[in-house]
Formats: sequence, structure tokens, C-alpha cells
Amino acid sequence: MNEKGANIDLLFRNGLKDFEVLPPPGVWDGIHSAVKTKSRPVILLRVAAVTAILLTVSFLTYRLSREISNIPSGSPMAFNVAVPFPVISQQLENPQNLTSLKTNQFKFFPNGLTENDNTGTISQGIETIASPEQSIYLQESKSLSITNRETIRGPLLTPLNTFQGNTIQIKYPDLQYIPEEIASKLQNRWSIAAMASPTYYSSFNSGSDELSKQLTASEQSLISYSGGVSFAYKISKRFSIQSGLYYSSLGQKVDGISSFSGFQPYSNTKGDHNFEVLTTNGTVYTNNPDVFLSADGSDRILTAYTNDVFDPKKASLQPINNSLNQNFSYLELPVFVRYKIVDKTIGINLIGGLSYNMLVNNTVYTTIDGNRYSVGKTEGLNPLSLSSSLGMGMEYNLSGKLSLNLEPTFRYYLNPFSVTTGSLVHPYSFGIFSGVSYKF
Amino acid sequence: MSEIKKIIKGCLAGNRRDQELLYRRHAARLYAVCLQYSGNDEEARDILQEGFIKIFEKLDNYKHEGSFEGWIRRITVNTALEKFRKRHSLYRVDDIDMIQEPDAEPDNQDYAGLEANDLLEIIRELPTKYRMVFNLYAIEGYSHKEISKMVNISEGTSKSNLSRARVILQRRVGSYTGIKKKVANE
Repeated sequence: MNEKGANIDLLFRNGLKDFEVLPPPGVWDGIHSAVKTKSRPVILLRVAAVTAILLTVSFLTYRLSREISNIPSGSPMAFNVAVPFPVISQQLENPQNLTSLKTNQFKFFPNGLTENDNTGTISQGIETIASPEQSIYLQESKSLSITNRETIRGPLLTPLNTFQGNTIQIKYPDLQYIPEEIASKLQNRWSIAAMASPTYYSSFNSGSDELSKQLTASEQSLISYSGGVSFAYKISKRFSIQSGLYYSSLGQKVDGISSFSGFQPYSNTKGDHNFEVLTTNGTVYTNNPDVFLSADGSDRILTAYTNDVFDPKKASLQPINNSLNQNFSYLELPVFVRYKIVDKTIGINLIGGLSYNMLVNNTVYTTIDGNRYSVGKTEGLNPLSLSSSLGMGMEYNLSGKLSLNLEPTFRYYLNPFSVTTGSLVHPYSFGIFSGVSYKF
Repeated sequence: MSEIKKIIKGCLAGNRRDQELLYRRHAARLYAVCLQYSGNDEEARDILQEGFIKIFEKLDNYKHEGSFEGWIRRITVNTALEKFRKRHSLYRVDDIDMIQEPDAEPDNQDYAGLEANDLLEIIRELPTKYRMVFNLYAIEGYSHKEISKMVNISEGTSKSNLSRARVILQRRVGSYTGIKKKVANE
């Protein structure tokens, strides 16, 4: 028999050696599109990295150039009357004189100001500072004003008590005017925010084979949620860099899978799963020996207990549900850039960046009477994934430090949760994040 | 640098022309392998497509040691096995039929006149589990121990499946040869 076996083996081995059959047309197109699609995330990552580097270099150059241009030029009184509302960056010797002032209350007229002796003359004063013995008479004028008393630091104005009639002289020992834009940068550079959002999760499926189409058709997204804390650092008046830690939970419902309980007495699979269910996000392996699964009119379940071998109705198993829920939880580490488009009481920001996502939980369950019934877990998931985000943030300033935030955000996962054979599934999500932020 | 090395280098650089060239050079040979392992043309086409996607993905793992054709054939066979395991591994093949060694068949058959197409047709008519074991043992040259791990069956089942496959093949070859002779005589 062995010799005869060897003969028949040789017949086929030699007969099929170097045998060729032309494949059907269209196969190459499928291969090429899959290979091309898979290489796209790498290209995207490179583009994103180059963009991030260019942006960073641009910001730093811009910032440096602005700082150089604002260095006082020699004179202790770098006084620029061309700036309509300059800000004095130093405190008065008697700061209590100014603390009661509201914005725009303290005005003075620069005419007669001479750079040589650092003195100025104010005439026709009509407003007074709180301290009666050192009253400074001011003239209503649009030419100069202190617009933000919080930026007044250090010894600056020394009233000389030379009040004569309607005239008072003020000495400016170290007068320095800094544009308000630069001054505001010096404070509240950091902010911390707590945000949360319900998210709609779905996916782009570029798979072309019949199986992936069948899988996609029976899957529905579940409303998911995401939330966490973030901190941001202001690198210029309009740009901030943001990071933090977020937790997000995503999920989908797989229809057409009937589940039953009470299967354990019939299960004779030792140390192995009884059922495999193909999904676009990977293969579900059951780890609950009590659950029995059957697919309604499809071959997406792989098992030894097929309908012709085991009938759950004859075994009087308890029906549970006709669908499975897949749930994935991720810890996210975002790196975003925020650009402030509108800087008013209601601010508007453009937000974009990348997040590293680490898989921390993966469950598959079904529900019975509102309670979860564990089925198993999804195998083959990528433990790390990368996503890109783009959003528009609205910020309502409650005070100088506290604000309410609303940020509609679109997220696209650059690499799929898992790779199902012949199918390329790229999940995406949309959420409206809301929360509060505190600047310091 | 040899031509295949140039093509591989081009593929690794993402050059579409080289990728297509690699496909055109090897697709016919590999498609024959796919047909050999599959029960229908659609499945063979899927195996070919998935196999080539894996080849392109793993191309940077190829160290130019040993035959490139052998390397891509192994990937294709593994893809076919992966598909087989997905569809059939949980049927616990070893519990189904521990068959007896079949009775000896007269092996004085004249195999002349059988062409590769005929052989392919005969092999594809085998039940899937027999076809897998026969292909892996007789064509690829794996041992029963290796096959048992690859197909997730016991060594005994691998041997009995091979034995059953040979018997079926001998009968089919015999009837094919007979039909061919009859047609030729007519």
C-alpha cells in the first residue's frame, strides 16, 4: 500500500509541478487597492509629522521675532505714543492708588511728555485717583490709557505732588509700554479642562469581498462616550498645545446572532472556545461555556455545534437575544494644537491633532431583560492605535479664568482596530464634548 | 543585482509597476496552487488575493535566502490553511472518522494520458479535509507531525485522511484513465 501510495503521490506531485492557470481578471485590482490603502496611514503619519514640525518651527520663529521686536530700545522710557492703548507693565509705588480703578478709568494725556527727563505734564484733570492726598488730575483723551490694571507691575509712576491749579507733573523713572497683546500672553498661559461627550461611532469599510459586505450589513454602531482631563499651554496669543488623558468607550451591535443559555451540559470542548463569530472588528471567541450561538442565515459562526449536529430547541436551551454587543475601551493620550479664531467673551478655536489609543477593555455580551450576559471577547485587536481629530471649540468666558467649553469633534482612526481578512475597516467617531476649563 | 531583487526593492519602495510585475510573474503558478487547495474557483480567487496582499506586506521579511518562489508558495499555502482552519477546525475532524486502512487496490494502472488539468480536477473533488492532508503530505512534503499542527488534527487522523485520500484518488485516476482510453479508441 505504501508503495502504491507513493506512486499516486508522485503522479500528482510531478503532474502538478510547474502547473499554471491564469487567474481571473480583476484579482490584481483587488490586491492593488488593498496594498495601496494599507500604505496610506504611513503616508498620512509622515505628512502629519512634517506638518507638526513645520508648525512648531513657525510658532517658535514667530514668537522669537515678536519678543525681539518688543525689547525696549535703550531709553528707560520706551514710550510709544503710536500705540493707542499701551499697557504699563510695572506697578506704582503706591499701588493702592490704582487698585480701586476699573479698566479705562485711569487716563492721562501725554502731551508735554519729554523723554529726556522722563516727566510728563497732565493738564485739565477731571478724574481723580482714590487717594486724596496724591490726587492726579487727568484729562479725557483718547491718546493713551491703561487698559488692564492687572498688568501694572513694579515701581513706575511717582506722583511728585506738584499739583498746581489744573496741572500735575508725573515722573516716569522706568516707564515701559508693552502692547496689550504681549502683556496678555504673560499671564494665564496654562489651562486645565474636564470634558465629556457622547459619541457616534462608525467605520469606513473598503473591503470588496462578499464576506466583508455581509459582515458590515449586519453591524450597527452603539452610542458611545468619551471623557477626561486635558491641559493646554499657550505658546502665543492664538496658539496653544494641548494634551491630557481621556477614556473612551466604543461599541457596535452585531445582528443576526441568536444566543441561548444552558449549553454547558452539552459542551464537550475542553479548554477551548465553542464558537467563533466573524465581525469587521475581529473574531469573537466565546469564553462562557453556558452560551450557545447560532447565525440566522449566514455562515459567520464557526463551530463544531452546527445546526445539523445540535438543535438548541430540542435541548430546551433558554433563548436570550438575537444580537451581540461588542465593546472596546481605550485610554487616549492626545497631542492637539488649538488655534483661537475669535478671542472675545465667546471664543472660537480650531482644534486638530493626533491621539495614541491604548486598548484597556474588550468585552462581548448580549442582554436579557436589560441585564448583561457575558459571551466572550474579540480576538486580534490592535493593542495600540492612532487616531486623528479635527474639531471646532466654542468657549464662553465666565470670568477671566473660568470658561465653559463646547467642542464638536470628528475623529478618524488611522489604523483599524483589527484586520479582518479581505476587509479594511477604518473606524471614525463624532462627538460633542462639553466641559469647563480653568486658566492659571 | 538580480532582476527579482530589483523588483522586490521596487515593491518595498511602493512602486506600483514593480508590484504588478511581481504579480504577473507569479500569479498563474500560485493560482494553480490555490485551485489545488480550494473546492471552488471563488475560494481560490480569494486565497490568491489574500495571499498576494500578505506577500506584499511581508516582503521586507524576505532575506533573499532560499528560493523566492518557495517563499511566496509557502505564504499562499498558509493562507489557504488559514481559510481552511477558519471554516473547518472546529468540526473536530479527528472525532468524525477514524477509518480503517482501506483494502488494497490493484495498482497496475496505466497513468499515461493524464494531464495536469485532469489531476487538478481529481484532487479538487476530494473532501476538503482529505485534500488538505494529501496536498500537504504528498505535494508540499510535510510530515504527519507537522500536518497535525497545521490543520489542528491528530497525527493518526492525518495518516488515516491521507490513506483515504490516496484510495479515492487511485479510483478516480483509474476511472479517468479508462474514460480517456475509451474516448481515444472510439
